[in-house]
Amino acid sequence: MSETTAAVLDCHDVTVRFGDVVALSNVSVSFASGAIHAVVGQNGAGKTTFARVIAGLIDPDEGSVRISGRDMPKGSVNDARRAGVELVHQSFALPPSFTVAEAMQFGGSGGKLYTRSQLERRWQAHLDALNINVKAGQRIRDLPVESQQSVEIARALVTDAKLLILDEPTAVLSPEGAEKLFQRIRHLKSAGVTIILILHKIREVLAIADTVSVLRGGKLVEGPVACSGIDADKLSELIIGPSARPLDEDDRAALTGSASSLHTHVGVSGKDGAAPPILDMKSVSSAPDGDGPPLTDVSLAIRPGEIVGVAGVEGNGQRTLVRALSALADVESGTIALDGRQVTTLPLQGRRIAGLRVIPFERNVEGLSLTSSLWENWSARKLLQGSLLSWIRPSALRSECKSALDAWDVRYATVAQRAGSLSGGNAQKVILSREMDEDARLIIAAQPTRGLDIGATAFVWNALDQARRRNCGILLISSDLDEIMDICDRVVVMLSGRIAGTFEPPYDIARIGAAMTGVTHDR
Amino acid sequence: MDDIIIAILRSGTPLVYVTLAGVIAQRAGIWHLGLEGLMIAGACATILGIVFTQSIVLALLIAVGVCMVASVLFWFVVEKLKANQIIAGLGLTGLGLGGTTLAIESIFGSQAAVSAPFGLPRIGPFFGSFGNLSILVLLMPFFVFAFWVLLRRTRFGLRLAAAGEHPYAARSVGIEPSRIRLAALVIGGALCALGGAELAAGSLQFFSQNMTAGRGFMAFAAVIFGAGHPVGAALAAMFFAIVGALGIRAQLVFGDRVPHDLLLGLPYIATVIGIWMSARLRGGAKAISGFGELRDN
Repeated sequence: MSETTAAVLDCHDVTVRFGDVVALSNVSVSFASGAIHAVVGQNGAGKTTFARVIAGLIDPDEGSVRISGRDMPKGSVNDARRAGVELVHQSFALPPSFTVAEAMQFGGSGGKLYTRSQLERRWQAHLDALNINVKAGQRIRDLPVESQQSVEIARALVTDAKLLILDEPTAVLSPEGAEKLFQRIRHLKSAGVTIILILHKIREVLAIADTVSVLRGGKLVEGPVACSGIDADKLSELIIGPSARPLDEDDRAALTGSASSLHTHVGVSGKDGAAPPILDMKSVSSAPDGDGPPLTDVSLAIRPGEIVGVAGVEGNGQRTLVRALSALADVESGTIALDGRQVTTLPLQGRRIAGLRVIPFERNVEGLSLTSSLWENWSARKLLQGSLLSWIRPSALRSECKSALDAWDVRYATVAQRAGSLSGGNAQKVILSREMDEDARLIIAAQPTRGLDIGATAFVWNALDQARRRNCGILLISSDLDEIMDICDRVVVMLSGRIAGTFEPPYDIARIGAAMTGVTHDR
Repeated sequence: MDDIIIAILRSGTPLVYVTLAGVIAQRAGIWHLGLEGLMIAGACATILGIVFTQSIVLALLIAVGVCMVASVLFWFVVEKLKANQIIAGLGLTGLGLGGTTLAIESIFGSQAAVSAPFGLPRIGPFFGSFGNLSILVLLMPFFVFAFWVLLRRTRFGLRLAAAGEHPYAARSVGIEPSRIRLAALVIGGALCALGGAELAAGSLQFFSQNMTAGRGFMAFAAVIFGAGHPVGAALAAMFFAIVGALGIRAQLVFGDRVPHDLLLGLPYIATVIGIWMSARLRGGAKAISGFGELRDN
């Protein structure tokens, strides 16, 4: 028997259901030890569920998981960890008030007393050995996301991990942070750790993984194949599947991240160079409010028919920017003008009347009231803009809503159904139909495609393009650089509440990445 | 001067025990509004235990047992039946207040106060004028220290905090937050029993209905005031006791000039001010904010 082919992980017919939804369906796969395995798929393909099943966090409805040849009892984190499986979560699983040392300590075994300095010395040594530059006494909540991820990896390596699973580890990283992470992963591989990477970008898969497996709609459509035997086109075809709607080549490339420079179909914009800007922010600084860094001296202008992208590692002031524009954050100095009109002191209602529309970050929290009906959600725009005592005719609103939703191709049963009953893509279309009306002047689209499948993503991009053609100004905030570079006419990078750089096409991903992390390149 | 300190220790000690119960529950992720109910159950069980067994040890064991069982019930309703913990806690308080009244009514045929022939052991003449204080007063600082070690310097404490602050993080390293909460509530139940015992049998030696008079809620306020830290919360509880004792003092001195009710209300006013201050003090509000939301995705 040869040791090199020994499987570290064997899944047999694993099926997971959440209510009526089948998240994983009869997945059988086995991974050889000592290699880097990528698992790819669209949002909702079942990647995270797959990772959680292996880690013992989700109890599969059917099927079995074997680790290093031993059957795992279903849904036991402790047994999985004893067998050497550790999971690094997409949104980190570290209590924010803990110090780094405490976060390392709480998952271990044994119940001995400790002093704070002992604890910090012990775990500082562990961090240093992994070459992670974080102080053991710092609190998790004070760390930037990249350090939090390093800490979570260090926590996963507290025990003698044999199989390390990283769920979308690059989602929160700048391109340079991702490269550092990949170096660390290669180092771990040479130390004998098997690694499963959950990814959704083909470029990253081909850069790091030894094998790749593709999930689509909860099914394994391609077992682990060597990355040397597959190319980006074939892989993107496997990920998207036989799509009902043929996609634009560039959109397809952006969706799967299979190329690094895509910018081609811009150029229709900026027709009206002399027209007054739709948005004109001058040296805006906001008051600190404990919810991300405040804006510092932000100047930003958007001309009619222009899409401006905001890139940056999450948590660098993007949310504050949206709140400042929506009159939800206190502006301490500077001015904001909308379509030639000063709105610095206007409340949100006034700004909306002036043409501001927002597709918010959290579709299900800020965007829709999930327990209210579709027509109530849809009517909110008009009701907010009308006077307080104006007469409301529900039947008229219902029929208006119906024709709007039909025009936007929303799949729904009746306008009286609750917004929470729609899928992510359809829910986003409801918001689009409300926020992208004829009177819209400035549209803020905050992560408008997050969590959407490829068809819905292309729909959103198309809608933004339509609005651009109507001479709206569009501010697109996204953590997906491919998306930004594909559809934006100009990109600004935010870092710690400041604008750290402005870029025009053709974009240089390395320079944008450097601006995101604050590295200045010599010209 | 001695008698003021004695009065403070007498009224503060039961509060500290119950506060510690609130601290451990809160760190595990439960806002424990059932403290009042557990405290009065502990007080009632102690007095009835002394009356019927003539043994202080057995009486304390009965009180601790009753409160632990009630805590398991509370845990079951909150964790297994997924009831809202605030409502369930208030329900537990109602159960304690009503249940104890019902118990003495059905045993003695009246709602009058029940006296016990003796109370908790005293700390003895070695302590001079403090000799009449009960043994639980002497043990109180040790309990506070032990809780500090348990919550801040052991892995159990870290797991408890993780279960409270970020249940998903706890689950992902193989900790079952629900079981940790059971442990926290049961330990807390025992502490509430001791608090109730000290209240009814420490200096008084009787039980009357509704004798806790909101002390459980004051302990809850001390938990918030102390930002979930055992030492801070215990100090907050003692602060309330000091204000209360001074209020009684003030009655003797200014009783004819200042309205009586205002002076009696001092501890409660101090509670409100304390809560308000805790939001101002650095760390207080921040350290506590994570507990309101229970993230578990």
